[in-house]
Amino acid sequence: MEMIKRITFTILTALFVTIFIGINQAFAVNAEENYKWYCSQCHGLTGKGDGINATKDQPVNPRNHTDTKEMAKLSASDVENVIRDGGAATSKSTMMPPFGKTMTDAEIKELVAYLSKLCNCKFK
Amino acid sequence: MNRFLRIVTVILVALTMLVGIGIYQSMAGSAEGKGIFASKKCGDCHLMAGPNTDKTFADKLNRKGPDLWFAGSKFKKDWLEGWLKNPKPIRQMEYNSIEKKNSGNHSKLSDKEAGDVTAYLMTLKSKDVAEGVVKEGPNIQGKIAFEKKQGCYGCHPVTKAGKVVGGLSGPSFVDAGKRLQGDWIYAYLKNPKSLIPVKRMPTYAGILNDADMKNVAQYVTTFK
Repeated sequence: MEMIKRITFTILTALFVTIFIGINQAFAVNAEENYKWYCSQCHGLTGKGDGINATKDQPVNPRNHTDTKEMAKLSASDVENVIRDGGAATSKSTMMPPFGKTMTDAEIKELVAYLSKLCNCKFK
Repeated sequence: MNRFLRIVTVILVALTMLVGIGIYQSMAGSAEGKGIFASKKCGDCHLMAGPNTDKTFADKLNRKGPDLWFAGSKFKKDWLEGWLKNPKPIRQMEYNSIEKKNSGNHSKLSDKEAGDVTAYLMTLKSKDVAEGVVKEGPNIQGKIAFEKKQGCYGCHPVTKAGKVVGGLSGPSFVDAGKRLQGDWIYAYLKNPKSLIPVKRMPTYAGILNDADMKNVAQYVTTFK
């Protein structure tokens, strides 16, 4: 009897853990998904700065995130700040909107890491 | 005195009839519009019963057209009727897409159908869009917030010096003042999740202050 109890308890625990992980994953959005949903509108799906909003009439061109040399000039906090507070916060163009009320701080930090992969560079 | 009473009675009867006919006509149009909407299966693409419960990007991508459960709070009646008769893309890209061009193949309604469907759609209101909050007319603070503090035209096409400029991922603002109610724009900026929970546009509540959200809403209504 004791053993059946223990087995039932183990199965139930495993079930709860599985369900919890499932739910968590369903709502968590990874950096690549966020990039493709939000950033790609201007920076392009592969980060080359060629999104559909990069029309010839815009006052600035969206940054090419695959440009290793240019991207390596930035610090991780610059990148984080510009995503959170927009271009104006880092004396760049206001055409880069603020995403601080759209993505969580954790998501923004993960996005910085994703950008580091895209540029194949390390931020200062 | 008797004559006076008779005249008053005639006037009252006539007025009651007029009001009655008016109410009947608007209700009839709306009921017929609802029927047309159902028979043309418009609800296959447009969400008609709100609120929208989308949680993920995938939920949003499963939708084929913009929500209309708040159409009466969002659109201006004359514009809506005109658009249903002669639909032109509002967003240059296909719904939900940032890769495919909008082919502009939305079905077209006859004059009578467009009138009835508009009457129906204008009855669909959201409690989250307060009416009479945003005024119409020029708003310089709104222009500053729209163009300088934020770069709204980075995504929304606008007319500048007679030329259409700006990005393509957002709906066009070229004639947004004919299309949108200021109250809708403000309500959406203030509490986007209650109206469109998953969207590509960043959330500006908490970034623009309340006055600036109203200013931007008013400024956009000048785009005609």
